[in-house]
Amino acid sequence: MFKKILIANRGEIAVRILRACRELGIKTIAVYSEADRQALHVRLADEAYLLGPSPARESYLRGDRIIDIARKSGADAVHPGYGFLAERADFAANCVDAGLVFIGPKASSIAAMGDKAVARTTVARAGVTIVPGTEGEGPLRDDELLAIAPKIGFPLLIKATSGGGGKGMRDVHNIEEMPELLRSARREAESSFGDENVYLEKMVDGARHIEFQIMADQFGNVIHLGERECSIQRRHQKLVEESPSPFLVDDESLRKHMGDVAVQAARAVDYANAGTIEFLIDKDRNFYFLEMNTRLQVEHPVTEAVTGMDIVAEQIRVAFGLPLSRKQASIMCRGAAIECRINAEDPYNDFMPSTGRITLTQPPTGPGVRIDTGIYAGFEISPYYDPLITKMIVWGETRSQAIVRMRRALEEYKIVGIRTNIPFHQTMMDTYPFISGKYDTRFVEEQFSMIDAAENRELYLDIAALMATLVAHGQIEHRSQVYRRISNDSNWKWIDRFGKRNR
Amino acid sequence: MKYIAEVDGLDFPVEILDDHHVRFGEEILEVDLSAVNGQPLYSLIVNKESFEGYVYPDEGGWQVLLLGRSYSVNIEDEREKRLKSSETGSVLADHEFTLRAPMPGLAIAIPVSDGQRVEKGQILAILESMKMQNELRSPFAGTVVRLRIRAGESVQQKQILLSIMPSNLSAPLNKYSKEFSQEIK
Repeated sequence: MFKKILIANRGEIAVRILRACRELGIKTIAVYSEADRQALHVRLADEAYLLGPSPARESYLRGDRIIDIARKSGADAVHPGYGFLAERADFAANCVDAGLVFIGPKASSIAAMGDKAVARTTVARAGVTIVPGTEGEGPLRDDELLAIAPKIGFPLLIKATSGGGGKGMRDVHNIEEMPELLRSARREAESSFGDENVYLEKMVDGARHIEFQIMADQFGNVIHLGERECSIQRRHQKLVEESPSPFLVDDESLRKHMGDVAVQAARAVDYANAGTIEFLIDKDRNFYFLEMNTRLQVEHPVTEAVTGMDIVAEQIRVAFGLPLSRKQASIMCRGAAIECRINAEDPYNDFMPSTGRITLTQPPTGPGVRIDTGIYAGFEISPYYDPLITKMIVWGETRSQAIVRMRRALEEYKIVGIRTNIPFHQTMMDTYPFISGKYDTRFVEEQFSMIDAAENRELYLDIAALMATLVAHGQIEHRSQVYRRISNDSNWKWIDRFGKRNR
Repeated sequence: MKYIAEVDGLDFPVEILDDHHVRFGEEILEVDLSAVNGQPLYSLIVNKESFEGYVYPDEGGWQVLLLGRSYSVNIEDEREKRLKSSETGSVLADHEFTLRAPMPGLAIAIPVSDGQRVEKGQILAILESMKMQNELRSPFAGTVVRLRIRAGESVQQKQILLSIMPSNLSAPLNKYSKEFSQEIK
């Protein structure tokens, strides 16, 4: 097995990878930016190397420095996590050239799937249905896109060719607003991925986002670990994921069909290691290939909870050259799992990012609860990186037990010092569409509101009034005590008397 | 000490009798409030019923996060309440709107210049924070004055970026600030 792995990431995912390494008896090397000197991944690692200043492009995106550190520190392999360099084919190739194992697919698979437009053509050629759009047209100029748009039909989506995580993505409802949206999508894509190319895709009405976890070894064995339902999104960022999907729960033949297609799509690019095939599925149960993520996903713990497989450990094993530890027939999904992404965002202030020092954190424990995080009391949340600070995953024997458990755990989770979207998740877990499993990707933006949804919750106006009054009273008391102390102990009175005497 | 706490338009009279007793409306309640580790997270026991919530100062009042719900609470002592009710009218703006950074971050682009005329909804600044770009738009038509930020600079939360002198000077300010906060997407 590998002796030493460099983890080219930060935050909760760096900690997650470090844990897998530790359990496999592999030494870990952390890299960090100036803002992350006190980060948990640095504190937990066996070795830690400073990359550079806080902005990602001067630290976590410096592939050259990371490879340099890996070489000098005697690492055998590099795990990129998600985001940053995880889907950069050049970085994967450079690792291999430097004699390091890249824990992920081959550079050629990343390149084939990384350019979303190329990926769509490749997969379509393999006989997989794709969402109508400008696939296989190459990079297009604004005027060309504007000419094609009416043929695809509105509403449609502008998507970044090198995209991911909702960046560089815009909803377009008519031709009039399209030029400005193209500009802003290109700008965001350029700043996020260093590539301003975009393509168009038809927006599927009432669509659900369902993805399949793929695992493949270097001997051509490809299996899938079932699906994840990821339709609870805001601005194309996933917020809640679950497995199994409530949409597929009574439709084993559709699940099997989608799983087979996912495996087929992975084979089309000669895939190895962990990956995810994303599908859109419409109301009439037609499904379309959306894209492939050639990396570990944020929401992988949901699959780990229902299949029992340690996906990160499996990634490391297959990267080392071992065959898959399980065959398709031995993958059984048990119970139901839900993940809530806890972001440093204020749901009562239009989800504005919230930064600052964490002063207290009290994570829930107990049956069926897992927390993956990189934060602790005293850690500073800076504006430089992704707002995801913690993931909470619960498992239940049934979906309803998982929901009840998630509600329990959300209320127990206390984070002070910054605002988090925990109240959003609490509200979501109480909505009828979520509980009944009848929701699509537009639910959060078109039907969900913190206020309306909260209407169903029990009101505690009196307790809120009492709590605030006692806090306010305590502050007034405290202030007047300070005044009293000052007026009693101050030397000014002596100066005053002295002054009077000498007048 | 007597207070009036207003939540969602409802007034709750609270009289603090001693450290552990309050008169809440007609009722006398036994209360015990304790800040968890000195943080704005409070454990409250009311007649043996236990609650936990966050209490944050918020625009002159308080925000209470309790059991997955947010409450806006305004607290006044009786004298203040009297003072307030004798005040008249709403404040009218006779001057400009100041654009402040709603969060710390990096100014990606400032597509306006000093003295430039802008339309309502026109982009004034694009800030990037936590990898998301946020477009800050003008709440009304006017002229850019006192531009204090350049593209590429990082900004602190609430830092003043620029001001807009409205074309129409007599519109109410609070309406502007409300629209502004809605337009941050």
